[in-house]
Amino acid sequence: MKFSNPRSTSGEVKSFFAIFALVLLGAFGQGAFAQDIDPDELLRRVDDNLWSQTKIIEGRLIVDNGRRERTLQMQTWMEGVERSYSVYLNPPRERGVKMLKARSKLWMYTPRTDRKILIAGHMLRQSMMGSDLSYEDMMEDKMLSRNYKSSVEKFEEFEGVPCVVLLLTANDKTTTYQSRKLWIDPEKKTVLMEEMYAKSGKLLKNVHFKDYRPTGDRLFPKKMIFRDLLKENTKTTYEYDSIEFDAEIPAKYFSQSILKR
Amino acid sequence: MIAVVFNLSLLNGFQKQGTRNMVNTDAAGGHYVVPGFDLLDPTQWEDSTQPAPVSLKRLPPSDKAEILVLQGQIFPNNRLYPVQLRGVEIDQELLTLPLQGLKSKPSKVSDVIPVVIGLKMARKAKLKKGDSVILKWRDGFGAVDALDAEVVDVADFLNPRIDEGIIWMRLDHLRQITSRPGEVSWVAVRDHLGSVAEMEFRSVDELMADLLTLLKHDRRNAFILWCILMFLAGTSVFNTQILNVFKRQKEIGTLMALGMNAARIEKLFVLEGGLASLGAVLAAFVIGVPLFMWFQQTGLDISHLKESTIPVYESIRLDVRPREVAASLCVIVGIMVFIAWLPVRKISRLDPALALRGKAIQ
Repeated sequence: MKFSNPRSTSGEVKSFFAIFALVLLGAFGQGAFAQDIDPDELLRRVDDNLWSQTKIIEGRLIVDNGRRERTLQMQTWMEGVERSYSVYLNPPRERGVKMLKARSKLWMYTPRTDRKILIAGHMLRQSMMGSDLSYEDMMEDKMLSRNYKSSVEKFEEFEGVPCVVLLLTANDKTTTYQSRKLWIDPEKKTVLMEEMYAKSGKLLKNVHFKDYRPTGDRLFPKKMIFRDLLKENTKTTYEYDSIEFDAEIPAKYFSQSILKR
Repeated sequence: MIAVVFNLSLLNGFQKQGTRNMVNTDAAGGHYVVPGFDLLDPTQWEDSTQPAPVSLKRLPPSDKAEILVLQGQIFPNNRLYPVQLRGVEIDQELLTLPLQGLKSKPSKVSDVIPVVIGLKMARKAKLKKGDSVILKWRDGFGAVDALDAEVVDVADFLNPRIDEGIIWMRLDHLRQITSRPGEVSWVAVRDHLGSVAEMEFRSVDELMADLLTLLKHDRRNAFILWCILMFLAGTSVFNTQILNVFKRQKEIGTLMALGMNAARIEKLFVLEGGLASLGAVLAAFVIGVPLFMWFQQTGLDISHLKESTIPVYESIRLDVRPREVAASLCVIVGIMVFIAWLPVRKISRLDPALALRGKAIQ
């Protein structure tokens, strides 16, 4: 005949309640934390950090196609989402190449031919110089909080930082990426990782934001690593050397007359 | 003679087979295209679509095929490969396309898009039947989208122009995934139906203008060859006639002594030349007919053209056109008679006494 041990049963009950309490605490605790976070407000704060009406950036684009690495040094003047002008400074082969984007059109000027070429709107979606970025990705600077509805999807650690994961759904059918996910450090209001999804929900690209540095009253990532997840072993790193926010940019920078030697 | 007719018939055969392949697989009786559409300018494809006009939609499946063409990208083995997405009405009976693999598929796209590719495309993209590959595209609003595509068949399209770089799918699938209900890039029709609102007609000749230009150049080259052949044959006849007059001086003198005037003797010699050319025609017929019959059995192997964009790569057969053969014969015989006449003009200047002694021409 087998008898149960009353002490042992009491211990099991205690540990069961302890686990249950922990689970409840976890669920409600996270719920309470989630309630504290307003995803739209958080996204606005992220935009405040990253976005500005104008930017002047000098940086390097390091294109790694899995076989070899190329570094393109460039200077870019950006105004809003529609106007942008870039000049390639290095390597010598690309030096002097200029790109001007105004609305949905892109002009490219090459000093070798001394000609400017109008690239139709659809070319903006093609890979830029063999990188993991399209011209559109590189030259557009849309405010996420204006273009997407956000909701908290989950909380998780990313590279040791507790993050809130926001799911963004496009307000407009014309938005290139219909959904995105952002891993945001809610304390610093910085994005650590971003994923871009196709309309079907297939993951297409991700971006790692690294080395946040104080720049004026903002925290801005010094390095962004883009990966086109449909390609194998490729990545493109954009690393800036200097950046200036809300700078005065003369109108001539966005005029076609700048596309000459 | 054999070479001239053979050359002409070979070019005819090439054009006939090229046209037949183009008409059967792509051009049909012409295309009603969206104005401004240019197949050679992929960046404009997305802007050159519109709903098919009602007058064309009403046609039976045997008389029209609606086609939608858009840009896309596939990623075989994680490599980027730009492609043309071509959706064709699956119930159409106008074009001969090996798309049976798509017919049994449901009209609504699920998680995987069934597609068919050509042999050349399969070789270049290293894909085979049953493979799955990620397909990426933009919908009608500009949003990027991607799904897995399954290669349900690798088929021989016969026409390289509709093989390399093309992903074939059901039109209803392409319209669905790109949010372009009812839209087309062009409608292939059996016959020209006059003007149709908001569409422009492109005839078969316009659709295969490059091939016709190529053939035009080939015909020009063939004419140069013809001229060389005629020159060689003419020289040979000319020499023969000169030798004839020289060797037969005594005969000419005798005929003159018997009262035949120079003009009649010239006619006699030209008649001889003419009969010789008719003999040559007969010989060409005797040798040429079995040769042509044998050639029709084997054909000219041009399988190397598989790598080009010329819509012919099966063996070429001769297309002998009686009118063309008759015209060639008349021209050749005419030229030969003329060349036979040129040297015998000397006869009118011969002195009969010297000719009788064989010393009229030194």
